[in-house]
Amino acid sequence: MDKSKRLFLQGAGAILAGISLYQTRLATAREPQASKVKYALLHDETLCIGCDACTLACREANQVPADVTRLTMVRSGPFGEYPNRRYHFSRQSCQQCENAPCVTVCPTGAAYIDAQTGIVKVDDWKCVGCQYCIAACPYKVRFIHPVTRAADKCDFCADSRLQHGQQPACVSACPTKALIFGDISNQLAPITRLIKHNAVDRDKVSLGTRPKLFKIRAPSGEVIL
Amino acid sequence: MSPFHFDGLVWHWPIAIYLFLAGMSAGAIFFAILLKYFCLKQHAHHSSFVIAACIIAPLTIWAGLGILVIDLTKPLDFWKILVFYNPLSVMSLGVMVLLVFQLFMFAWIAIVFAVPLSAWLSTRLPLAERLLQQLTRYEAGITGLTMILSLALGAYTGFLLSALPGYPLLNNPVLPLLFLISGLSSGAAGALLLGVLLKGQADSREVKFIHKIEIPLILTELVMLFTFFAGLVLSGGQRQVAAWNALGPGFWGWVFWGGIIGLGLSLPLAMNLFMTASAQRRFSYVAATASMSLLGVLLLRHFILYTGQMTSL
Ligand code: SF4
Ligand code: SF4
Ligand code: SF4
Repeated sequence: MDKSKRLFLQGAGAILAGISLYQTRLATAREPQASKVKYALLHDETLCIGCDACTLACREANQVPADVTRLTMVRSGPFGEYPNRRYHFSRQSCQQCENAPCVTVCPTGAAYIDAQTGIVKVDDWKCVGCQYCIAACPYKVRFIHPVTRAADKCDFCADSRLQHGQQPACVSACPTKALIFGDISNQLAPITRLIKHNAVDRDKVSLGTRPKLFKIRAPSGEVIL
Repeated sequence: MSPFHFDGLVWHWPIAIYLFLAGMSAGAIFFAILLKYFCLKQHAHHSSFVIAACIIAPLTIWAGLGILVIDLTKPLDFWKILVFYNPLSVMSLGVMVLLVFQLFMFAWIAIVFAVPLSAWLSTRLPLAERLLQQLTRYEAGITGLTMILSLALGAYTGFLLSALPGYPLLNNPVLPLLFLISGLSSGAAGALLLGVLLKGQADSREVKFIHKIEIPLILTELVMLFTFFAGLVLSGGQRQVAAWNALGPGFWGWVFWGGIIGLGLSLPLAMNLFMTASAQRRFSYVAATASMSLLGVLLLRHFILYTGQMTSL
């Protein structure tokens, strides 16, 4: 075989080896990151009345402009006949994944997991607005902030409230106490006990994202008997 | 649902064009290397087709990068991608590959045109000429690395999309290979088209050589497309839904069957086979075939990008 052909084959071999190495690298990177405090949120759908107080409070506390939002309450229904007619409310916001696709794909590291709190945050300054994270998030909760031009989403009010010792705005605003916020690495925290003693659910767990937005589901209204 | 605007659409056509241009750049250099070492040897720098490929490769990569930067929401901050790296991010790795690829691409082009270049430089910039002489001593290594980098770049255009976990059509292991193969064939088509426009002979051995490779390339691409969609359909669930949303009746279904399978792959395949069998190559045949291939690849990038975002898990 002449020299150039051999070179070609060697090149092809090397790239295949490179790709497979990269794949294993990605696979090992999927281990969850350890952090001391692990903040999580629980939405008890059986208590939720769909009043949208949380959505409004979030907008105000974090100065979210009108045409975007960090939090949406998705209403489905009505289900059943009067007087047993009811709606379902489901919370759509950042799930604070422990293995967050948005963090994996971000080219600059602007999307990152805060080592102290386990909160997935965005560094406005580092973000270039490539929107790779928006495409990568399976929960469709990231958006470009019209003012900062950076990617934005729910950060458990880390900067606006947590650092002043306050609960997240949506949690404080909820009139039925359907939202419970806390540190799930603390065995005694109310949220930890609720998660332990209820059949909690999370969205799209099969993707391996390890979300930290837990949900207690309301009785299934959409089943027609 | 309008084909270009729907819920959940994040990445628009500029990304498709960027992927197209990056793949074409990789393919052009890949074929230039094949032409030089398997067909023309020392005479490579006289060939219109090698010249064409060496013009296309830098122009497309720069145009692609330009589009990528303009498409950022903060175009002036693009330098942060070059300063901050995330080794797990396909985009970050891709930028690295793009930069190193350009370096080796220029080194390799300089080597190919070393004879005319050093004649020109020797009187004007003797220092640059000495540098060029040094460079030519590493021809084998530079060629090998340029080849590897061009393949990496071609595959990267697919990995960029297949790393998105929420879209069943994109999150597909066949995608990088499909994009690599179609990127290579767009490079070949680009070199052929510009080559004949630069007064390259339509029945030269370069054209015959490229056509000989293009036929198996098109067949491979057809097999990959089949595997790609058969895999989705057989996986069931949202993957199957995604496949039918893309291939079924509607705008993108037409693009796929008429534009990609018909104009972009079957027609060039038939023309190539005809030209090989009849040993007749005219300017118009070569140019038309190459244009069809290019159109097909451009459509494929748009088709995958848009239909990929139509269905999520
Ligand atoms: S829900 Fe989306 S934005 Fe939030 S951490 Fe997970 S992937 Fe990132
Ligand atoms: S838009 Fe910003 S945060 Fe998102 S991936 Fe790009 S640079 Fe990272
Ligand atoms: S935790 Fe804060 S940022 Fe997140 S939804 Fe609630 S109010 Fe908004």
